[in-house]
Amino acid sequence: MELIINQKTYPIPDNGDSRPLLLVLRDELNLTGTKIGCGAGICGACTVHIDGVPTRSCQTPVNSVVGKQIRTIEGLADTDGKLHPVQQAFLDLQVPQCGWCMSGQIMTAAALIDGNATPTPEQIVTAMDKNYCRCGTYYRIRQAIAHAATLKKEATS
Amino acid sequence: MTNNSPKRWRITRRGFLIGLGGAGVLTLGWAVGLPKMRMAVSDLAEGTEKPVSRGAPKANPTVWFTISPDNKITLNVQKIEMGQGILTALAQIAADELDIAWERIHVQMANTGSGVDDANGTGNSESVVSHYLPLRQAAATLNVMLKTAAASQLGIAVDGLTINDATITSSDGRSLTFGEVVAAHKGDWVVPKEAPALKPNNAFRYIGQSQPRVDLPGKVTGQIKYGHDMRLPNMLWGVVARPLKFGATIASVDQKNAATMPGVQTVIVEKGFVAVAAETKSQAQTALNAMDIVWNEPSTPITQQAIENAVTVDPNQGVLIQHDGEPETLLHYSSLVIGRTYRTPMAVHAHLEPQAAIVDVRTDGIDAWVSTQVPAGMASGIADAIGRKASEVVVHPVFIGGGFGRRLDASLGAEAARLSAAAKRPVMVQWTRAEEFRNGYVRPPTHHVMQGSVDSAGNITVLAHHQASGDVLLTIFPAVVGDILGWDIGAVRGGKLFYTAKVGKQTVAQRVKLPIATSFWRGLGLLADGFAIESFIDELAKTVNMDPLAFRLKNLPDTPFGNRMKGVLQAVADLAKWGTPLPAGRAYGIACSADAGTCVAQIAEVSVSDGTINVHHVYAAVDAGLVINPDGVKAQTEGGIMMGVSSTLVEEFMVVDGGAGAVNFDKYPLLRNSQAPDISVVIVGGGDAPGGMGEPPIGPVAGAIANAVFALTGQRLTSLPLRLS
Repeated sequence: MELIINQKTYPIPDNGDSRPLLLVLRDELNLTGTKIGCGAGICGACTVHIDGVPTRSCQTPVNSVVGKQIRTIEGLADTDGKLHPVQQAFLDLQVPQCGWCMSGQIMTAAALIDGNATPTPEQIVTAMDKNYCRCGTYYRIRQAIAHAATLKKEATS
Repeated sequence: MTNNSPKRWRITRRGFLIGLGGAGVLTLGWAVGLPKMRMAVSDLAEGTEKPVSRGAPKANPTVWFTISPDNKITLNVQKIEMGQGILTALAQIAADELDIAWERIHVQMANTGSGVDDANGTGNSESVVSHYLPLRQAAATLNVMLKTAAASQLGIAVDGLTINDATITSSDGRSLTFGEVVAAHKGDWVVPKEAPALKPNNAFRYIGQSQPRVDLPGKVTGQIKYGHDMRLPNMLWGVVARPLKFGATIASVDQKNAATMPGVQTVIVEKGFVAVAAETKSQAQTALNAMDIVWNEPSTPITQQAIENAVTVDPNQGVLIQHDGEPETLLHYSSLVIGRTYRTPMAVHAHLEPQAAIVDVRTDGIDAWVSTQVPAGMASGIADAIGRKASEVVVHPVFIGGGFGRRLDASLGAEAARLSAAAKRPVMVQWTRAEEFRNGYVRPPTHHVMQGSVDSAGNITVLAHHQASGDVLLTIFPAVVGDILGWDIGAVRGGKLFYTAKVGKQTVAQRVKLPIATSFWRGLGLLADGFAIESFIDELAKTVNMDPLAFRLKNLPDTPFGNRMKGVLQAVADLAKWGTPLPAGRAYGIACSADAGTCVAQIAEVSVSDGTINVHHVYAAVDAGLVINPDGVKAQTEGGIMMGVSSTLVEEFMVVDGGAGAVNFDKYPLLRNSQAPDISVVIVGGGDAPGGMGEPPIGPVAGAIANAVFALTGQRLTSLPLRLS
């Protein structure tokens, strides 16, 4: 079985099971940038992109994503290392504290910004409402996503 | 001075209201003759007046700093970065005193074998407090040592040397970098006995500046490794049998064919410890599931009701930990007397990174990577578990995904160590979310009786707080300590009264031993005590129809500490424009607290829709003394507020059927983004000494919100989480 992750192909054993993508990423491929929080699809720490759609990897059977484009936090920046506008905005506003939820927050926000260049405050809250942050960075997250939209606009204009 | 029994208390819908006697005067709900504790010990209970530090690390610069030939300076600290920005703050302090370019300093968490001693671990809001002066002294001493060595190497007197950005220059124009001096140095370094003079505050370059966090680039790219992320070659995965019910113990085990199942390398069945290590996590879990484990449950079932009954103030129980003036004479002096009870529930830490440990036990040494706040304690815990010496264990600190007091428990590393010792390979043990809920420890439930009186001029005449709580600190001490002391310093954090009471005031701490594990949680008793005291202060203000801000300002003492409290109250009032009308359906509530040498005041703006309390905005003023990193102070204030809002609005851990009432976030939700307020923070104060920041901002949150709900609805809510009737 092969997975396409961040535009690279990874062979993985086909155990005939539907083990979660998250555990394949973390425990088999050592792509530990994607985090585990609840294992039940509630907290959002494990969010990755499947064909551009933010998806809970802990609830995604690995055999369901064969042949699809999987993107993780490790592949969000450009290949030359230039950060995605959301990553840059999270740095600019010094958003992360412990950082454990941040891969999921950033992947969720990146999908929002990539699909909607000018999200309203309400759209930002709606998109981010299912990602827990125990350190309490929610207010900075909202501000950073608005800032990311500005960064992206500046980069494309 | 009567000696009441609880049955005289009249039960109201929310908590108890102390029964008023026949003549309309309060019959005192406290007993005389409670044991008094030594006040020196009680000063540790809140640290309101000054930061409390349990001792500083040793100031030997050769341990703290590593200097490479290319003139990079590495600062080694044994504090754990768990999101509070401690690496950055300590680097700022060191770089400032060294007077070097910011790019030149690198800061890292030191392992327990490095010589950097910190037996205290990371917590208690004291990392900056305890390191500020020793670290500056170490840095200043380093400059002197290198200057002395350079003088010797250059063959000239020290007096003519100057230092600029880690380069030492002589008056005749020759220069050596720190790296060159260190590389050329022969023999041992001699540390001067006396620390040299420190630079004046007006020369600070980094202290007081919002330096960007050094750990954030790796956190937005997924590169930072946490405990749960560590992997070693040839490692195994371990799982441990844990009870589904509180207090359950293993009665019998039938291993079945676990040891021969695919991938299984080790099965341990010992008294109280049943565990498996296998090539994969699922193989280990499958083998454990195949075993037949019978559990003994406690003979007396543990119920939520029994816990709440136990954690209920008994006027004849407790230890008098604060006693000023003559509070017992309340009857004779007061014109307006009220009493109220408050209750807070158990809560979990809900650190989003489940705890994890990987331990490699070898004959030549033991290495461990553990998500812990206490590396030194973890080294001892691992050594004890496998009959080795702590000096053989090196605990390598890792970034941790939220601490909040959960990672102070050494049993985690011990489990992985026992499996590794048996398997002779490195073993990783990761907890699941369900295990965190079922088998961790929780914030203790509390119950508070507040009583007080006010004269017609709005002066508090008597104020009394009696708190019952499950254990916090006593959990980690041998049982005898709790039996001798009789009360828990941690539980009463924030529980002593700092308002002036003209006649007298007192605080009583009542320790309740519970059958489930309770212990540290961010701020210890601070959130609960702040909720009870600050809600009650609002009630006292109401009895004389005074503005809650004016009432607080009037009743704070005219002392340096009291003036700091007034300062944060006035500052937050200015920030939120207290007193100007709000839109219809909105109200403000105010509260303040002091902890770890830091004063905090907050104003919450709330509304109610469909019976739900919405917190729109929290304003905060913080006086943390000397601030190292202003944006770090703001971030900790925001974080403490959000965690407090979550506890105030949604969190409640319950016992159901003798076990955890929730094993994941479906039944124990946390605050979500749409429920999270905007936050505005203003920093005030100053001086020469930093206060703590990790916990103090959580103190006023619940009180501010409850007071706003009262202002809006007239309902005085006295239990957390707040629920409108």
